[in-house]
Amino acid sequence: MPSNNFFGKLTSDALPHVWYTLGGTAFMVLLGAMVALFLTKTNRWSWLWKEWLTSTDPKKIGTMYMLFAALMFFRGMLDALMLWVQQALAAGGQGYLTADHFQQIFTSHGDIMVFFVTMGFFFGLMNWIVPLQIGARDLAYPFLNSLGLWLTVAGGILINLFFVIGGEFANTGWLAITPLSEREFNPGVGVDYLIWSLQLSGLGSLLAGINFLVTIIKKRAPGMTLMRMPLFTWTSLCAMVLIISAFPVLTATTFLLWLDRFFDMHFFVTGFGGNQMMYFNLIWMWGHPEVYILVIPAFGMFSEIVSTFSQKKVAGYVSLVCAAIAITLLSYMVWLHHFFTMGAGANVNAFFGIVTMVIAIPSGVQVFNWILTMYRGRVIFASPMYWFMGFISTFIVGGMAGILLATPPVDYQVHNSLFLVAHFHTMIIGVALFGIFAGTTYWFPKIFGFTLNERLGKRAFWFWLIGFYVSFVPLYLLGMMGATRRLDHYDAATGWQPLFITSCIGFFFIASGVITQIIQLVVSIKERKKHLDKTGDPWNARGLEWSTSSPPPFYNFALIPTVTSRDAFWQMKQKHSSPKRLYKDIHMPKNTPMGIYIAGAAFVFGFAIVWQILWLSLLAALCVIALIIKLSCNEETEYVLPAAKVAKMEKLRTHADAK
Amino acid sequence: MLKRLFIVVAIFIALLSIVLLICSDKTLLTHPLGIIARGELKLMTTNILLMLIIVVPTYIFLFFTAWKYRASNPSPRRKPPFPLKEPILWMIPAVIVVVMAVITYKATHALDPYKPLTAEAKPLKIQVVALDWKWLFIYPEQGIATLNFIQFPERTPVHLTLSADGSPMNSFWLPQLSGQIYAMSGMVTPLHIMADGPGIYSGRAAEINGAGFADMTFVAKSTSQEDFEAWVAEVKQAPLQLTDSAYNELVQRSQNNPVTFYSFVEENLFHRIVMKYAQ
Repeated sequence: MPSNNFFGKLTSDALPHVWYTLGGTAFMVLLGAMVALFLTKTNRWSWLWKEWLTSTDPKKIGTMYMLFAALMFFRGMLDALMLWVQQALAAGGQGYLTADHFQQIFTSHGDIMVFFVTMGFFFGLMNWIVPLQIGARDLAYPFLNSLGLWLTVAGGILINLFFVIGGEFANTGWLAITPLSEREFNPGVGVDYLIWSLQLSGLGSLLAGINFLVTIIKKRAPGMTLMRMPLFTWTSLCAMVLIISAFPVLTATTFLLWLDRFFDMHFFVTGFGGNQMMYFNLIWMWGHPEVYILVIPAFGMFSEIVSTFSQKKVAGYVSLVCAAIAITLLSYMVWLHHFFTMGAGANVNAFFGIVTMVIAIPSGVQVFNWILTMYRGRVIFASPMYWFMGFISTFIVGGMAGILLATPPVDYQVHNSLFLVAHFHTMIIGVALFGIFAGTTYWFPKIFGFTLNERLGKRAFWFWLIGFYVSFVPLYLLGMMGATRRLDHYDAATGWQPLFITSCIGFFFIASGVITQIIQLVVSIKERKKHLDKTGDPWNARGLEWSTSSPPPFYNFALIPTVTSRDAFWQMKQKHSSPKRLYKDIHMPKNTPMGIYIAGAAFVFGFAIVWQILWLSLLAALCVIALIIKLSCNEETEYVLPAAKVAKMEKLRTHADAK
Repeated sequence: MLKRLFIVVAIFIALLSIVLLICSDKTLLTHPLGIIARGELKLMTTNILLMLIIVVPTYIFLFFTAWKYRASNPSPRRKPPFPLKEPILWMIPAVIVVVMAVITYKATHALDPYKPLTAEAKPLKIQVVALDWKWLFIYPEQGIATLNFIQFPERTPVHLTLSADGSPMNSFWLPQLSGQIYAMSGMVTPLHIMADGPGIYSGRAAEINGAGFADMTFVAKSTSQEDFEAWVAEVKQAPLQLTDSAYNELVQRSQNNPVTFYSFVEENLFHRIVMKYAQ
C-alpha cells in the first residue's frame, strides 16, 4: 500500500547503515568528487556539456555507450568476484555473505551484465559503425538516440542507487520471477528498484531499436540494396526487429508486476485468481528474444572480421543472411524451453524442444561458412582473429550444451543447475563478449584514428580464454554433480568445493585479462603517434566504413558514396575509383540537451516511484510531459553546412593527412 | 597462435581428466540409480554422440583450415573456392537435427513425468508439499507424514504428486532417481520414480525461493518391502501428529528443520492445501 509519509518509504531506517552500502556510498561520492575536481581544474565543464553530453553525433553517443558499459562492467565483475569467493568458501558454513545478500548480488550481476554491459556495448558499436557502413551521415532520429542513451544511463544509475540511498536490491534472480518477487515474499524496495531500472533502460533500448531499424531501412547510400548490406548491419537489423517486438513485452510484464506490488492487484500472486506461471510465459517471451539480441550482432561482426582477415569475400553471404533471419524468427517460438519442468505435457515440451534444436541448423551453417571463408584464403592472425578463433571453438561447446538443455528429459536433470549457468555464460562471454572485444579492436582505429596495441590485445585474449574455461568447465561438472544455481552455501560432503575453488581461480585469470585490456588502452593512447591510421583503412578491409578517414569527420562522408555491389569499398579499391569532388550542402542535426533533461526527469520519476514518494513522482511525470511538449515545438533541430565550407574542411583534412 | 592454442588445449584436457577421475563418483547425473534418471542419462549420451558426428569433423576442419591457409604459409593453392554448394551445408546439420528430433520426441513421451511406471509391485503414493523452507511428505495410504525425508520400497513405482503452500515456486529434484519438476501453490504436478535397489539419495529444492533456499534439502531412502513396512510401523508410533493446528504452525517460515515423523495426518490435508488457492 502507498505510504502516507512525506518521503514515502524513504525513512532514516532505509539509509545505508551496513558496511557494504556505506563503503559503496563513500566510493561513489569520492569518485564523483574526483571527476568534478578534474573537470574544474582543467576547465572542461562546458566542453563536456557541449561536445559530449548534448551531442547527437552517433560516433560520440557510441563512445559514451561504450564508456558507460565499461563502467557497469566493473560493477558486474565486482559482483562476480563476490559470488565466486562466497561459493569457494561456503562449504559446510555460511561463508562471508548472508543468503539474502548473496541473492541480491547475483540478481544485480545478471541484470547489470545483460542490460547495461552487453546491450550497452552493442549499442555503442552500432552507433559507431552502422551509419558508416550504410553510408549515412547520422541516424534517422538523432534526438531519440541521445534520449535512448540517457534513459539507459538513468536505468543504470537507478540500479546502483541503493548503495547510496539505501534499501536493498531484489533477491529474486535477474528476471524477478513471481511469486517470489510479489509483496508477500518481498515487501522491500529491492524488486521496485529492479522493475523501474528495467523500465527506464528498456524504454531506452526500445527507442534505440526503432531508431536503428528506421536508419537501416531508410538511410542507406544509393545503390545499397538490402542484399548488399554488410553483415554486421544485417545482424543489427535482426537484433533491432527483436528489440522492437520483444521489449514492449518486458515493459508490460514488469509493469503488471508493479501493479501487483503497489496496488495489490493479483496478476501473478498465488491465490485470488492470480497465475504465477503466466509471468514465466510473459517474461520469457521477452527473455528468449533478448538472449538472441545479445548474440546475433556478434555473429555479424565475426562474419566481417573473418572475411577481412582472410582477405577474401565472406563465403555464403546469402546463407549467412538467411541464417540470421531464421534465428531471429525461431527465437520467438522457443520461450517455453526455459520451463519444461513446470509440468506442461509431453507434446508441448517436445514441440518446444524440437523447435529449439532447429536453431542448431542455421547456427551450424554459420560456423561452416566462417570456416569456409578462411578456406583457401590468406588468414592474418591479428588480435580480432584471436577472438574469432576463441569464439568459434567456444560457440560450438555452448551450442552442444544448448541442445542438451533443449531436450526436455535431459533438461529435467540439468535445469536450474550450474550446467545451465555454465551454458549461458559460454554464450554470453564466448559469443557476445568475445564479439564485443573483437569488434572493438577491429573498429577502434576507425573511430579514434589509431590502432590498439596488438601484443597486449593478444595477451588479454589468452587470459580471457584460459580464464573462461577454468571458470566455467567446473560449473558444467558441478551441474552434473547435482549442484543447483544460486546456492549461497552447501554441504561439504557434496564434494563440490574443489571445483568451486577452481572456478574462482578462473575469475582471477579473467580479471587479469580485463586489467591487460585497460593497460592495452592506456599504452595505445600513449603510443598513438606510432600507430596512427592515416589511410582510413588499416586492415585492408571491405566495407564502406573504411572508405572515409579515421576518425571520420563529424558528417562521416563529405560525398555520399554510390554502391554497386557487396563489399562496396573493396570494389572501389579494385577499380581505383574516386568520386568527383562536387560537394553539396550537408544537413546536420543540432546538439540538444533535451535528452539529458527528459532522462533526468524520468530518473527522478523512477526514484520517487520506487520509494513511493507520490508527490515527487507526479511532479517528475509532469516534467517529462512538459519537456516533450516543449521539444515538439522546437522546429530548428537541424543546421546546414554549406558546400563551400565542406570543401574547405575537406581540403584542410586531406592536407593534414598528407602531412 | 595455433601452436599456443594446442598447448593450452592439451594442458587443459590433461587437467580436466584428472579432475574427472577425482570427482567421478560424485557426479550424480552419471550415476543414476533409478529407471527415469537412467533413461535421461541415456538420452543425454545419445544426443552428445550424435552431435559429435558433426562437431569433431568441424573442429578438425576449423583448425586445419586456420593452420593451412595462414598468411605466412606460401604454398597452398588458394583458388578456386570450396566446391560444396550452400544447400548441402544446410543439409548436414539438418539431418542430425531430424534424427535428434525423432529421438527426443519419443524420449519426451517415454520419460514424461505424467506417465505412470509399470512394475510388478503396487505403486506407492506420496504427496509432496513444498513449504518455506522444508519438504513435507504425506503418505495418504499409510496415514503418516514426514519432514525432509522420504522412504519407499525398491523396485516399486512411487507416484509423487507435488504442490506448495505459503512458499513461492519450488522445484523438486532428486538427481539420481529423476529430473526435477516444479511444486507450486494451487497446482498439482506429478512425478514417477522407481529405485533399482536399496539406497540413500540426496534431494534438494532447485528453484530460488528466498532466504532458506540453500538448506531446503531432503534425504530419500529406498529399502526392501519388509524394511519399508517395518519403517511405516515405526513411524506410526511417533509421538507427533500432523493435525490442522500442527500443520498451521509448520507452514510458518523456518529453516534447517530436522527430519520429523508424524504418526497421523488429517484426512484430505493435501487436497485442502491445493484448494486453498483456488478461491
